[in-house]
Amino acid sequence: MKTYVIVRQTPDTEAKIKVNGDGRSINSESIKWIVNPYDEFAIEEAIRIKENHGGEVILITMGPARNLAALRTGLAMGADSAIHIKDESFASADPYAIAKVIAQEIKNPGDYDLILTGKKMIDEETGQVGIHVAEDLGIPQGAVVTKLDISDDRKSVRVQKEIEGGQVIVDLPLPALLTCERGLNEPRYASLPGIMKAKKKPVKVIETGDIDFSSIGLSAEQLGEGGSRYAVTKLEVPEIKRRLHMIEGMEVSDAVKELVTALREEAKVI
Amino acid sequence: MGNETWVVADLTIDGKVRKVTLEAISEARKKLQGTLCGVLLGSGVSALAPELGRYGAEKVYVVDSEILGDYSSEGYSTALSELIKKHSPDIVLAGNTSQGQDYFPRTAARVGAGLALDAIDLGLSDSGRLTVKRYMYSGKSIATVEFLDNSPAMATVRPNAFKPEEDPKTPEVLSESVDIPADCIWTKVVEVKRKESTRPELTEADRIVSGGRGMASSENFPLIFELADTIGAAAGASRAAVDAGFVPYEMQVGQTGKVVSPSIYIAIGISGSVQHFAGMGSSKVIVAINKDPDAPIFSKCDYGIVGDLFKVVPVLTKEFKNLLAQG
Ligand SMILES: Cc1cc2nc3c(=O)[nH]c(=O)nc-3n(C[C@H](O)[C@H](O)[C@H](O)COP(=O)(O)OP(=O)(O)OC[C@H]3O[C@@H](n4cnc5c(N)ncnc54)[C@H](O)[C@@H]3O)c2cc1C
Repeated sequence: MKTYVIVRQTPDTEAKIKVNGDGRSINSESIKWIVNPYDEFAIEEAIRIKENHGGEVILITMGPARNLAALRTGLAMGADSAIHIKDESFASADPYAIAKVIAQEIKNPGDYDLILTGKKMIDEETGQVGIHVAEDLGIPQGAVVTKLDISDDRKSVRVQKEIEGGQVIVDLPLPALLTCERGLNEPRYASLPGIMKAKKKPVKVIETGDIDFSSIGLSAEQLGEGGSRYAVTKLEVPEIKRRLHMIEGMEVSDAVKELVTALREEAKVI
Repeated sequence: MGNETWVVADLTIDGKVRKVTLEAISEARKKLQGTLCGVLLGSGVSALAPELGRYGAEKVYVVDSEILGDYSSEGYSTALSELIKKHSPDIVLAGNTSQGQDYFPRTAARVGAGLALDAIDLGLSDSGRLTVKRYMYSGKSIATVEFLDNSPAMATVRPNAFKPEEDPKTPEVLSESVDIPADCIWTKVVEVKRKESTRPELTEADRIVSGGRGMASSENFPLIFELADTIGAAAGASRAAVDAGFVPYEMQVGQTGKVVSPSIYIAIGISGSVQHFAGMGSSKVIVAINKDPDAPIFSKCDYGIVGDLFKVVPVLTKEFKNLLAQG
């Protein structure tokens, strides 16, 4: 089984979000970056598949230099090698362009069985790149997967997905692309020997100049903000005013009465 | 441009139109321009057209095909992208449901459209292009996203973000035949399991009662369920409660769980972490019950009772029962 895992970095979930003077981007100076948590499920699952079925795990990311840290984390967990498509302007490209470049990297050798990625990025809160890659490669997709089993003949994968009001289980032929949901597994921590070994694992770096844009039907401009189909024109940190009505220091029955009355008469939600 | 705005219907397991579809139609009618059209994809779905009309759809495109009987990303994205290519709508919307998140990105990739997921507001820019508002950075910021080029603008909308309001129309129903070759369907459905629950679906619920680590064990969760059932609420949980094995993951609310926006969210034995708020911070009214007066949740809720949940919750359930019995 040759599995690619598409990974990216996101700000730490505790990170304080400050909007830049331009009013439409965040100040990333003091932000600590982590591997996108959903991508961690994907890395873990790929490593487990390798442990059960043999094969290799290749990480692939697109983004600025700092993304190397995400690749090192995945390599330390047990992935075999990594590909870093590096350019600072990629950050503002839309999924359409990013996916085309990633798909091209995977298509070139072509001998893959499975592609995994997280169900969404927790910063942009979208999960489109993986599915665009599946479309570009013309392979089946399973989005938001909570369980997967590779068939004994390794020709198909059985996938469980949560849907509103239930679950579905489907079979997809391989190669396929799956986006991973929490519940799929518990990602391992990188061990110290793992971290040492990761330093020696190969990371192939691809710069913008190395990309043959015409063959993937893109122009170099399309990778930047100018090529995006939409733009963030404003970013706000919402101030939701809460009532902060505290009910304390009274008998339980009085406290509850006060709450219920307020919910009915003041907030009018019951 | 066809100057049409489309809302593709989301259907439940039982083949009913989801509330989010009616919410999207109602909001599109208020905020957007062009002919408002519903789109029905599935098998035996034509009968649902009048319901879309009741909320304001002037036209309904129907692709009724046995091959769409079982949902598959390939089937739905093939049907929808063929329709888009044929009619060139300006705007295409659907609910941000498990299906919407699956076939909308695939369709967008195929037709080369821009797609914004999980919109909480819709509008038009000065140049008449779609703008949406959506959360970014784990609910900590709201981005205004403006579509730029002339390809169709696609968006999914968050359930419960808009109000469904009737505006009865008798829609023109257009039956569309789309060629979906059987061999383009890769997905083989093995099983569809229904959740045996009488409670509303978390993401669609108007009221939610959630328990956290403070519940101490799964044996105590019936306290949450009874309160939820009393007020017709869905039951949720924090990640700590899920990780401790009190309740299954499908109940988790938060950054790595479900994103909800009910009119009332009651958090019981939940401290109020950033990650929990990423999932429920847009609730209209937040109630917290916690024994620790310094719990962070008390600095971002509407009503807070400081007290032992095991004493407070049964009394609260009783009080709600009394209140609702009076009507
Ligand atoms: C990447 C990442 C993603 C995450 N995603 C999520 C997510 O999706 N959802 C989520 O919820 N968390 C998430 N978390 C975890 C989050 O950081 C918190 O650990 C979690 O929300 C805490 O859950 P809790 O409030 O139930 O538990 P605690 O923080 O332990 O709080 C328990 C509360 O119960 C109160 N309590 C105890 N006993 C009683 C009693 N008898 N009566 C009244 N009150 C009582 C205590 O005072 C305390 O405030 C994530 C964390 C990370 C790092």
